Amino acid sequence: MTENAPPPPEQEASGVLAQMAPPEESRDTGRFATLAGHFAPWLAAIGRLTRHQVRFTLLLIGAGWGTLRESLRPNSWRRPVIYEFRATLRQVIGGGFLSIVITATLAGLMVVSQAAYWLGYAGMAQMTGSILVSVLVREIAPILVGIILMGRSGMLSLTEIGMMVLGGEVRGLQARGIDPFLALVMPRTFAFTVGGFTLGMIFAVVSLLMGFVVAHASGAITSSVWTFFFNVLVAMTTWDYLIIPLKFVLVGFFVGLGACISGLTVSSNDTMATIMPRGFARGIMLVLVVNILFMLDF
Amino acid sequence: MAANAPLLELRDAVPSFEESGLMPAPYNLRIMPGECAVIDCRDFERAAMFADMCTGMIPLTQGSIKFMGLDWSTLYDRQLNALRGRIGRISRHGSWLSLFGTHLNIMLPHLYHTTDPFDHVVQRATELGHTFGFPGLPITAPDRLSGADLARAACVRAFMGRPDLLILEDISDMLPEETVLPFFETMTAARDRGCGVLWFVRSTAAWHEYRKAVNIHMRLLDEGLFSLRVV
Repeated sequence: MTENAPPPPEQEASGVLAQMAPPEESRDTGRFATLAGHFAPWLAAIGRLTRHQVRFTLLLIGAGWGTLRESLRPNSWRRPVIYEFRATLRQVIGGGFLSIVITATLAGLMVVSQAAYWLGYAGMAQMTGSILVSVLVREIAPILVGIILMGRSGMLSLTEIGMMVLGGEVRGLQARGIDPFLALVMPRTFAFTVGGFTLGMIFAVVSLLMGFVVAHASGAITSSVWTFFFNVLVAMTTWDYLIIPLKFVLVGFFVGLGACISGLTVSSNDTMATIMPRGFARGIMLVLVVNILFMLDF
Repeated sequence: MAANAPLLELRDAVPSFEESGLMPAPYNLRIMPGECAVIDCRDFERAAMFADMCTGMIPLTQGSIKFMGLDWSTLYDRQLNALRGRIGRISRHGSWLSLFGTHLNIMLPHLYHTTDPFDHVVQRATELGHTFGFPGLPITAPDRLSGADLARAACVRAFMGRPDLLILEDISDMLPEETVLPFFETMTAARDRGCGVLWFVRSTAAWHEYRKAVNIHMRLLDEGLFSLRVV
């Protein structure tokens, strides 16, 4: 009677499966699983490393898109958001103004006077305008403005937001239904954008003016200041009128966004000693990348 | 939200241990409009985490948490934030931004979530400030205020804007003696218009004088949330 009793359901099912699957195929599957088992940790490690390396870039692209999209919604600009925008704009322009004027003066003294002197010496004084536009205003100014923006205001934003994350204040904002992206990242990024453009224009005018003053005083330039600025403007192409402001705007945008995102993504293991160098390196990288991209395309 | 629906309902809600540190036990709680639930919890951090869970900030592995009939897990970011704007909350840690003065910290959620005229918001905050013993609205940075003034300011902020739910962490050790009665009165007034209260306490002394008005009494332990008899 026990010999005729039906096998338990699990045994029956496994027996049926064993009859259905051809033995060669199951051996192949087993071999593939063993092979995959050997390679899986390596593949996972490569994937982890790749994701870790491009994480900030992907975050930046996503946050940049998010910032632009959210800024177009009227109800994103709520009162605390506008307040934060104004406060950051004051800090960016007010904090960076003196540094920009001093740096622009030094750059003007060096570049304009040297260019005027050497071009005059080589008998190419008529090239002064175009050389100044392409070297000083289009290439040097965005880099210096970006570095000053980052040093004076970007690092401050990074530290403030990073400390808020570590201190639990950002979580406190979320608990009250205040989106940290809307309340902190978006207004600060746009304040940096406007600040970048403003400081960039101040830099361009001051550096050219100071360069002219020195070159005129040393006799390297004999024309009036109006003629000098007229020559500079004439030397600018249509693209320059577009690219120069765009560079200032983008440098400001990415310095602000990079600082805010770096601050928001700090982990509980981070301290000031790890946050600051990382933020500085990312900021420098962003300033250079924006300038190099424009150099490649135009 | 239906008239007889619970304001806050945790139904076998099991929090993610990795995200919260709370034990993955099923939590059950139901607060109707106007009810007051007192939860005994000696650990501030655990109480804060549970409060976060009730506001949909901690993912669940099982069960659901509904506030005003809406399941937190089914809402988008904007909806989540708008719904959290209906909650008045007192937190012990990490609730004051050093970027702004205390007055802006108090009014920030209300200014963010509503379009009420600024003057009205200031007036309401000042009135509540008077209730809790301030001569006006404190404009200094929060880190320069004493613990007692911060506790007063936390009360003002929590009761601003007619919230539908109050989640109150225990600040009884910081709240001055003369503010306790206004605190109970303001809480009762809020309950009278249908606001639910979830009140975390460390000791019986914190809520002893209010015990007759308490509807639910529970204890939050590592193992979960346990009902106690209301005395």
